[in-house]
Amino acid sequence: MIPGRQTRCWLAMSACLLAAATRAAPPSGEQLYDIACLSCHSLGDAADHRVGPPLGGLLNRKAAMVKDYRYSEALSASGWSWTLPTLLAWLSDPDTAIPNNAMNYVNPLTAGETQRLGEWLLQQP
Amino acid sequence: MAYTPSRRGLLQAAIATSFAGVGNGCDIAAPGRKVVVVGAGLSGLNAALILERWGFEVEVIEAKERVGGRVWTLDHMPGSPEGGGNVMGANYGRVIHTAHELSVPLRNPPQALPSDYAVGGERILRQHWATSDANPLPEAWRSTPPGRLIAKLNADNPLLSTRAWHEAKLMAADQPADEGLKALGFPDAAIRLINANNSYGNNLSETSLMALYRIMGEFGRLSGPALAVKEAVAGNMRLPEAMASRLRRRVALGEPVMSINTLSSGVQATLASGQTVEADAAILALPIPALRQIILDLPPSQLAVLDDVDYHKIVQLHCVVDEPFWEAAGWGGSWWTDGLLGRIFTRPIPGSNRYNMTIWINGDDCDPLNALDDAACTDAILQALWQLVPGAKDVTSVGQLVRWSNDPFAGGSWALWRPGQAGQAHGAIRAAAGRLFFAGEHTAEAYRGMEAAMESGERAALEVMRSLS
Ligand SMILES: Cc1cc2nc3c(=O)[nH]c(=O)nc-3n(C[C@H](O)[C@H](O)[C@H](O)COP(=O)(O)OP(=O)(O)OC[C@H]3O[C@@H](n4cnc5c(N)ncnc54)[C@H](O)[C@@H]3O)c2cc1C
Ligand code: HEC
Repeated sequence: MIPGRQTRCWLAMSACLLAAATRAAPPSGEQLYDIACLSCHSLGDAADHRVGPPLGGLLNRKAAMVKDYRYSEALSASGWSWTLPTLLAWLSDPDTAIPNNAMNYVNPLTAGETQRLGEWLLQQP
Repeated sequence: MAYTPSRRGLLQAAIATSFAGVGNGCDIAAPGRKVVVVGAGLSGLNAALILERWGFEVEVIEAKERVGGRVWTLDHMPGSPEGGGNVMGANYGRVIHTAHELSVPLRNPPQALPSDYAVGGERILRQHWATSDANPLPEAWRSTPPGRLIAKLNADNPLLSTRAWHEAKLMAADQPADEGLKALGFPDAAIRLINANNSYGNNLSETSLMALYRIMGEFGRLSGPALAVKEAVAGNMRLPEAMASRLRRRVALGEPVMSINTLSSGVQATLASGQTVEADAAILALPIPALRQIILDLPPSQLAVLDDVDYHKIVQLHCVVDEPFWEAAGWGGSWWTDGLLGRIFTRPIPGSNRYNMTIWINGDDCDPLNALDDAACTDAILQALWQLVPGAKDVTSVGQLVRWSNDPFAGGSWALWRPGQAGQAHGAIRAAAGRLFFAGEHTAEAYRGMEAAMESGERAALEVMRSLS
C-alpha cells in the first residue's frame, strides 16, 4: 500500500518528534564505547586483530588475563582487577594509574561520560 | 561501519536517519542533525562515519579530485609507492581495525634495501662507517649510524607518559633542540648530522627539544597482536577510499571551501564554485596551512596560535630503477646523506625485478627546490643523484615529484612544535569555537600521523554529538 500524502506526513512528523526526543539525550554509554574504545577492544572474550584485548565480561576480571594477548609487563604485574572505581581511574589517566602500560590513550571524555561508559561496559557479558 | 549497534542503538539511529531523510515530508526541518565536514582525509572521514553511524546527516566537502589528503598512493607508478603516509605503526588501533572492517588487506611492508652513507661529499659503505675517515663523530659516538643518533635521547627521556610533553614542570625542555642537545653532551658533529635529516623540524634551532623527546618516547609503546609495522597491500589510499565509499552521501570532490560563516542557528560554508552548504556544525579536518586559507569566525587569540604553527617541509622524487646498479660496488641500494639528496629509500617491487627508489628531502633544504618549477626541481635532484651514483643514470626513470609545502591543500607534511609551543599551542589549536570543531593529525594527543588523524576524528565527532544533543 502506498501511504497517502497525509499519512506520510504524519509518519515523518512522528519520526521528527521522536528523533528530537532522542537527540536531546547526551551520548549514551554504548555510543561512547563505539566512538572511543571499540576500534581497539572487542566485546568478546578472545584476542583478535585489534590492538587491545577484548573487554567482554570485564566486571571483577583480573587485569591482563586474556589468553593469547600479549600484555605489557606493567599491566600484567599491576595486581588490578576491574570494577567501576579502577576502570575510572585507569581511563582518566592510564599512565598515572599504571605507569609504562601499553595503552596509548588520552581520554577525550568528560568525567560524566567516562562514568556512563564505565557503567555500561561493566554490564556487558 | 566498524560496529553493530545494539537493538536500542539501532532504533535510535534508524529514527534519526529517517528523520534526516524526511526533509520534504514535513515542514519541521532537521534541527541539530546536520554536520558539514571540510576535508576528506582520514580525520574527516572517520568523524563523518561515526556521525553517520549515530544518525547525523553528514556532508563531506573535499578540495581535491580524490579523497585521502596526505595519504596518497602513486597508483600511476610501478610498485605504487606512497607519496604521503606510508608506515602504519603496530599500535595504530583505529587504522588497523578500520582496514579490517572495510576489507582493506594490510601486510608487513617489504624491507627497504640496506643503507650506506654519503657524508661531507664522501661515500661510505655501511660496514666502514665506524672506522671511516669521513665519519666526523668523536670516538665514543663513531659506531652509531647517523640515522640512529637521535635515539640516544632515550637514554634519559624525561617524558614518562603520553601527556607529559605539556607538563609545566618539564617545560625547560621546550627549548631549541640544537642548544638542548649540546647541553646534553651531544657533540657538534652529531648535532649537524641530526639536523641533516630531522623529520620533526625544518631545522634544529626551530625544533623544540620536547618534540624530539615526544617522538623518541613513543617508540617504546608497543603491545598487542602485531608488533611489525604495516601498509595496505594495494596502497594506503585504499583505506580512505573504502571509508568514503561507506558514507551514505558521496563526498563532494573538487570543491574547495572558501569561508564559513556562523549563522544564528548553525554554519554556512561557501565553496569556490559559489555554492553554499548550511549545517548545524562544521568540522574542519584539514592541516593548518590549508585552514588558514579559509575565512572563519575565530577569536583573535586562536587565529594567532594557528598563524604560528609551522609545518614540516618534504620534497620527494619517486623513481623506478630497472637494474640494481649498486650491487657491483657492494652498495646496499639505499643511502643516508647529509647533502641535498637527504635520504634515498630503495625497495624491490614485489613480483618484479625492478625497484622503487624514493629520494626524500627534509626541512629547510627544500626551500631552494620549492622555488623551482617541477622540471627544474626534478633536474636539480637528478643532477645530485648522478653525482652521488653515476651508475644510476641509465637505469633510473622518474615517476613523480611530490612537494607537500607547495600543495595549497596541505601546506606541508605535518605540524611541527617549535621551542615554546609544547605547553599551550597544541590545546589552543583544537579548541572548539561555537559551531566550529577541529580535527586533523595536528590536533591529536596520543598518536601522530595516520592514527592521529583517526584519533582526532573520534574526538571531533564526540564534541559535535555533545554540542548538538
Ligand atoms: C610525505 C609524508 C609521509 C608520511 N608518512 C607517514 C607515516 O609513515 N606514518 C604515518 O602514520 N603518517 C605519515 N604521514 C602523515 C599522515 O599521512 C597524515 O598525518 C594524515 O594522513 C593526515 O590526515 P588528516 O585527515 O589530518 O589530513 P589530510 O589527509 O591532509 O586531509 C585534509 C583534507 O582536506 C582537504 N582540504 C584542504 N583544504 C581544503 C578546503 N579549503 N576545502 C575542502 N577541502 C580541503 C585536503 O585536500 C585533504 O584531503 C606522512 C605524511 C606525509 C606528507
Ligand atoms: C588505540 C587503542 C586503544 C584504545 C582507543 C583504547 N584502548 Fe584500552 N587498551 C589498549 C591496549 C594496547 C591495552 C593493553 C595495555 C597493556 O598491555 O599495558 C589496553 C588495555 C585496556 C584495559 C585492560 C584490559 C585487561 O585485560 O586487563 C581496559 C580495561 C581498557 N583498555 C579499557 C579501554 C576503554 C574503556 C577504552 C575506551 C574508553 C579504551 N580502553 C581505549 C588499547 C586501546
